[in-house]
Amino acid sequence: MTQGVVSGGWNFVIAAYGLTAAVLVIYGVTLITRLREARKRQ
Amino acid sequence: MNKRLLPGIVLLAVGAYFGFVVTLAAFSGINGLGLGIKSGLQATIAALCAILGALYFLTIDDVGDSTKPAAWLAGAGIVCFSIGSYIGLFVAPPEEYMGDVQRIMYVHVPSAWCALLAMTIAFACAVLFLFRNDWKWDARMEGSIEVGVVLAFLLCCQGAIWAKPTWGVWWDWDPRLTTTAVLLFAFLGILALRRFVDDPVKRGIWSAVATIIAYIDVPIVYFSVRWWNSLHQQQSSPGTVSKQFWLPLRANAFGILFLMTAFIMLRARISALRLKTELAPPPLAEAQLGEAV
Repeated sequence: MTQGVVSGGWNFVIAAYGLTAAVLVIYGVTLITRLREARKRQ
Repeated sequence: MNKRLLPGIVLLAVGAYFGFVVTLAAFSGINGLGLGIKSGLQATIAALCAILGALYFLTIDDVGDSTKPAAWLAGAGIVCFSIGSYIGLFVAPPEEYMGDVQRIMYVHVPSAWCALLAMTIAFACAVLFLFRNDWKWDARMEGSIEVGVVLAFLLCCQGAIWAKPTWGVWWDWDPRLTTTAVLLFAFLGILALRRFVDDPVKRGIWSAVATIIAYIDVPIVYFSVRWWNSLHQQQSSPGTVSKQFWLPLRANAFGILFLMTAFIMLRARISALRLKTELAPPPLAEAQLGEAV
């Protein structure tokens, strides 16, 4: 950072978007798996 | 098409028009689609219609076998989120002072909105469960708490990633960050409480009361940046955000809102199936069966 301006930082941007996509996908997949298991148990 | 879905579709269409189409047209240089409504009011209409539309889908959902509405919403969410992320990463210009790091805003702010909305839905479900004694609301409450916790966790992680290059630290005990962490752990505690209590009646009542108490933190999180001297910036509005940033922000907000609604619908089904087993009368023993015959 120079004179109050942030330069670069794409690695942080990629980390934030990657984490968001990963968490949403993983959570969605676990929901589908748990729902299938709950239906099987019925 | 099911007629019951129509009001929800109309609400989402109006929300998408003012939040998405008008902004996309302005982004492409076409003006005049806003029907003469000021941009601040357009954003309010878009947000209200989108939230009401999502809530409508949640309330008409019978927590039954069909997962079609949830699948459609999830599909719409993935499309909006992909478009918003593409524009946010590759089309929107970098911010003057924060440069490219500001692009984190397009996922961070919608996550914050939707986390607080999921917890507001949990609060409403808790109140409705206590007053109506309908197990559907208990299932929806559990679903919205879990989705709210996932989004709040995501929010804290995205915030930490954004804080490092801009503030120089991953975390600071600033009022906004601290109250958000308290919110995350309070609702995580309610999920733990629900896991440890076997009796569904006690579990439902205790967790509904705990949700109402924990919800007190939501307005504190929202207003913390105004009430206290905070390192975190104040809430953004169309007046404080450059027009070039509107489209990716709104597309991602719609995307995460649709995904949140779909996740709550699916998660409520898992809770409803568990409740169905727990509340079913125990099967008659062989001797009792003989007597009955």
